[in-house]
Amino acid sequence: MSAKRYFKKELPWVLFLVPALLVYSIVVIIPTISTLVYSFTDYNGFSSAFHLVGGKNYLQVFQNKDAVNSITNSLIYGITVPVLVTALAIPLALVLNSNLKTRNVLRAVFFFPSVISTLFLGYIWKFILSSSSTGLINSLRIHAGKEILLLLADQKMAMPLLILITVWASVGWHACIYIANLQTISPDYYEAATLDGASKWQQFKSITLPMLTPAMSSSILLLLTGNLKAYDLPYALTSGGPGTATTMITQTIIEEGVTSNRVGYASAMSFLFLIVIAVLTISVNTFIARREKKLYE
Amino acid sequence: MEKKYTKKTLLTEMIMIFIAVAFMIPLYYLVVSTFKDQQQILENPLALPSSLSLTNYMKALQTMDYWKNFGNSLLITSVSVLIVVIFGSMAAYSFSRHKTKISKFTGFLFLLGFMVPAQTTMLPLFTVMKGLHLINTYMGMILLHSNQCVFAFMLYRGFIRTIPLELEEAARIDGCNMWQSFWKVTFPLLQPITITIVVFNVMWIWNDFMLTYLFLNSSSKATLIMQVFNGVGTFSNDWSMMMSALVLALLPMVIFYLVMQKQIVEGVAAGAVKG
Repeated sequence: MSAKRYFKKELPWVLFLVPALLVYSIVVIIPTISTLVYSFTDYNGFSSAFHLVGGKNYLQVFQNKDAVNSITNSLIYGITVPVLVTALAIPLALVLNSNLKTRNVLRAVFFFPSVISTLFLGYIWKFILSSSSTGLINSLRIHAGKEILLLLADQKMAMPLLILITVWASVGWHACIYIANLQTISPDYYEAATLDGASKWQQFKSITLPMLTPAMSSSILLLLTGNLKAYDLPYALTSGGPGTATTMITQTIIEEGVTSNRVGYASAMSFLFLIVIAVLTISVNTFIARREKKLYE
Repeated sequence: MEKKYTKKTLLTEMIMIFIAVAFMIPLYYLVVSTFKDQQQILENPLALPSSLSLTNYMKALQTMDYWKNFGNSLLITSVSVLIVVIFGSMAAYSFSRHKTKISKFTGFLFLLGFMVPAQTTMLPLFTVMKGLHLINTYMGMILLHSNQCVFAFMLYRGFIRTIPLELEEAARIDGCNMWQSFWKVTFPLLQPITITIVVFNVMWIWNDFMLTYLFLNSSSKATLIMQVFNGVGTFSNDWSMMMSALVLALLPMVIFYLVMQKQIVEGVAAGAVKG
């Protein structure tokens, strides 16, 4: 085939890829490469004169207590939430997939928080858990004659509360993923197991749970990537406080880069964070893929 | 295989209804508070309102410029979702139907980018957008949200594989070019997954806070979500008004959910398990 004819044949196929690739280059590829480059410089966001500083920014991230703290917070939050949501969404899915009369209404109720902007969910819970006497919990406590609690303003309580609220907000959505998967499991397996005298728990352990692997892989992946990079909900609920008890890495990156103009340093933090997310998602993905492979053997 | 409805099922049903009621308390509290004044919220936070007074809503509407913000959200969301669907389906079509080095490499790039969190690229993205003079413009916001076409690409890719080639081939023999055969023959067959993609993206783009916060801070172009965020300072002393503003701002998505409920719940399923 002549080069010209080959080109003519290939052109439409390439043109179909171009629009998406163009958007993607502007929004993701160029900024990702720039982040890597900036992370080795002292760029401040506007002056065109910046210098290579080698690995200094990276060293600084590890030496800065606030940066280490916010990375730790993101990891605690980003790992605990997926574990809790998965542990609750699977039983919820089982119940909502059984023959309850109200199951459709119940599904709608549990899914509902997913429709609302996470920023707003943060505000709503702030009304409830406010440390002032006007918050719902505290005004109920006053009526009951008890002293008010610090709740979100309590160093030790803020993170667990934030995690609970996130679980509340995402459990219904993930239960739906599991319900869809449950409906693909053939009832024959259970009939055979019942004939063999397997108990309900044994059936769950050796039929349901392994067969739920496909849903588990997408659900956990969504949870992990979504919560490690959470920003809206923590920001609306606590703005990272009290002190730095719930400051996430995303908030620190934005503060350092946008507010303090330390773009080089913030870029180094971004890139480290990217590596952490990539390593975590890839390892969880490989682990689940291996389980999935076993399932079909 | 529908099991029998036993006493145990009834008990489960009761427990679940109880949990569901508890689950909705935060939203119930939000809604009833909008009909009360500050004093009533404090005295009887969970009681039903004594009257359905709309004073708080009126006040909130006056401070918010609601319809303007609603229009901004609608404009940004609808154009972005349209672009996401068009660009995403075209790329997935090319990728699934014509494997070359170029398409394979593109697919690989998209997969990589799926892992890059938006926050990590935020700062250079700001510089890029500034260079393109797209900060504080509708165009800029639409461009940023259009990147969701990578997500659409992933879902379409899995779906196109299940569609037989014969129809397209017939169209090509009848003299359709690739553009025509894609839009007239293939795209209509993608409808189920298109609905899923539209539903997901409408919710994500409408509810987006972070990108809007960083790239669209002019109040005349603010989306509903941004307007509430901007108003938090002004509202903070008047909870009942703030709550009314919240309800007004989340109402469009609630209506969208009620109308599309079946598609949304099934869409989650289709997207996650089959895609």
